[in-house]
Amino acid sequence: MAKYNILMHEMVPEHWLVPVKEEEKILKSLGVTKGQLPKIRRTDPVIKTLEKAPGIGEIVPGRIIEIVRKSRTRGIAKIYRTVIGE
Amino acid sequence: MTILAWKDTLKKVKEILEKAPIGYCLDYEIPADKSIKEALITVTGKTFIAKAKISKIAPYQNEKNVLKKKKDKLKTLITIEKIEEIQDDIVNYEEVSGGSVDKVLSFAVIVKKEEAKIELPDHMEGKLNSEVKSLIRQVEKDGNSLPVKIAEQLTAAKKHYGIGEKDFEKLIKATLEKYKETGVDPYEAVGIVGAQSIGEPGTQMTMRTFHFAGVAEMDVTLGLPRLIEIVDARKTPSTPSMTIFLTEKARGDEDRAVSLARSIESTTLLDVADIEVNTTEGYVLILLDKQKMQERGLKREEIMPKLKKIRMQKTVISEEENKIRLSQEEPSYKKIYQLYENLKTFQVKGLDGIKRAIVKFDQKAKEWVIYTQGSNLAGVMELKDVDYARTKTNDIIEISQVLGVEAAREAIIEESTSTLHNAGLNTDIRHLMLVSDMMTFSGNVEAIGRHGISGKKASVLARAAFEITSKHLLNAGLIGEVDKLNGVAENIIVGQPITLGTGAVKLSYRREE
Repeated sequence: MAKYNILMHEMVPEHWLVPVKEEEKILKSLGVTKGQLPKIRRTDPVIKTLEKAPGIGEIVPGRIIEIVRKSRTRGIAKIYRTVIGE
Repeated sequence: MTILAWKDTLKKVKEILEKAPIGYCLDYEIPADKSIKEALITVTGKTFIAKAKISKIAPYQNEKNVLKKKKDKLKTLITIEKIEEIQDDIVNYEEVSGGSVDKVLSFAVIVKKEEAKIELPDHMEGKLNSEVKSLIRQVEKDGNSLPVKIAEQLTAAKKHYGIGEKDFEKLIKATLEKYKETGVDPYEAVGIVGAQSIGEPGTQMTMRTFHFAGVAEMDVTLGLPRLIEIVDARKTPSTPSMTIFLTEKARGDEDRAVSLARSIESTTLLDVADIEVNTTEGYVLILLDKQKMQERGLKREEIMPKLKKIRMQKTVISEEENKIRLSQEEPSYKKIYQLYENLKTFQVKGLDGIKRAIVKFDQKAKEWVIYTQGSNLAGVMELKDVDYARTKTNDIIEISQVLGVEAAREAIIEESTSTLHNAGLNTDIRHLMLVSDMMTFSGNVEAIGRHGISGKKASVLARAAFEITSKHLLNAGLIGEVDKLNGVAENIIVGQPITLGTGAVKLSYRREE
């Protein structure tokens, strides 16, 4: 990869891999299915970088990524994206 | 650790794999270097497929019992001790000397690129004030939710006005009520409202592209053309540009900023030299212009090693004073002309795509900043002295490729708001956030319109109503598409109440038991 860590870039919000155990709880609170969430490609640079971080490993399609944005309206906003293959 | 690399055929690689340990003869001169203990072989020029442990690099002297890359003109013998199959991208390596690896006639000495240790950022939520945190938790206990921003304002107000506990609870209750009221109602047509809110002030925007706007001496597309560019998700904007910030050590030093700006400006051979073609004798002559070279901060010694990388086989390079002569072993009109064409666009310095770079002093932040025409985010972020975490480009597609969809979403909001603000228009940011959320919904940046999200609606009738009606209807007929009539456009077509507002609500009667 590269000499830089894009997770530290100003424009990249926090991305966290949601543990499989917590997925159901999140989906229930939002009242949606995995397929209805916004998507993020598995080949997305952030996902590829996240896989290299210690203690995360391979991220397979179907997992949920929690994104914590610095929101201009809410202060902090949490959203979720489903990982898709290609 | 330096590694030797070259390009070979798959057949040869398989042969070495079979017969190792063995000597292997290559057809180029490699200086004997004892520090090289490893070799990588590529077939495609994109990935290395074999890694070999080598013990000796020596000139070829007609040894027997060795494998040969070619039948004749062999020059170097390397002794391969062990070889194994691997998979590694060429981009992970950097060339130190020699030519480029993706050329059959050359070898390169490479090193593995430094890799950043990936650390995760801190949780933003963890950094919140403890009072704010406890307030949010308290509200959540009752099944409500409060945005962080409002919670922060509430706690600040409590401190500022010295509100007592009892009154504060009343305040929270009133805030929650107001907050719920301001929310969007179910089945509100947010998309239409958003389109109106951007479209109406948009009519007042300039149709013309202004030049020299924003930063001095720099072309930036503004106004309506820029807004259209953003929502169309063009591959490259008409005026790509970057803002490069420097690291703490370098940002106060003008000399460092200027030299960095110079080193990224892409300079082609034609910028610093005249090129003459002699077709009768079959050579190309490069006449270096001393003055132009000085202006660009380029030395003659820097050009020569770069020229060796030219992607033409069997090119002979000879030097005279301020002249470089390139000829072919077997010159032909076509080859010489091809060589000339290659040389015209040959890049001797800088990063791909960056046409110009200027340095300006930011009075507010008290630091030197580099502005560029043309964009190469991945290239610039790798450079020393560059604060990659703040470095930005206005090319949204490039951002999505280098920094991911979420950063692209951020960029769309940032670019569209700043375009509207520059025109003196105040559009609520929520509309632009909706637009960028829709554009990045699928994980890619998609345009709004025929090729993007409007062309991907689930309903045939809605698509047909938008554009190219007959094409959509015909295709739907051919594959037997079903329209569930869930959306708005399709229900208008068939004459039913639309699924918006009260039209979307169905009454049902539950009998009391």
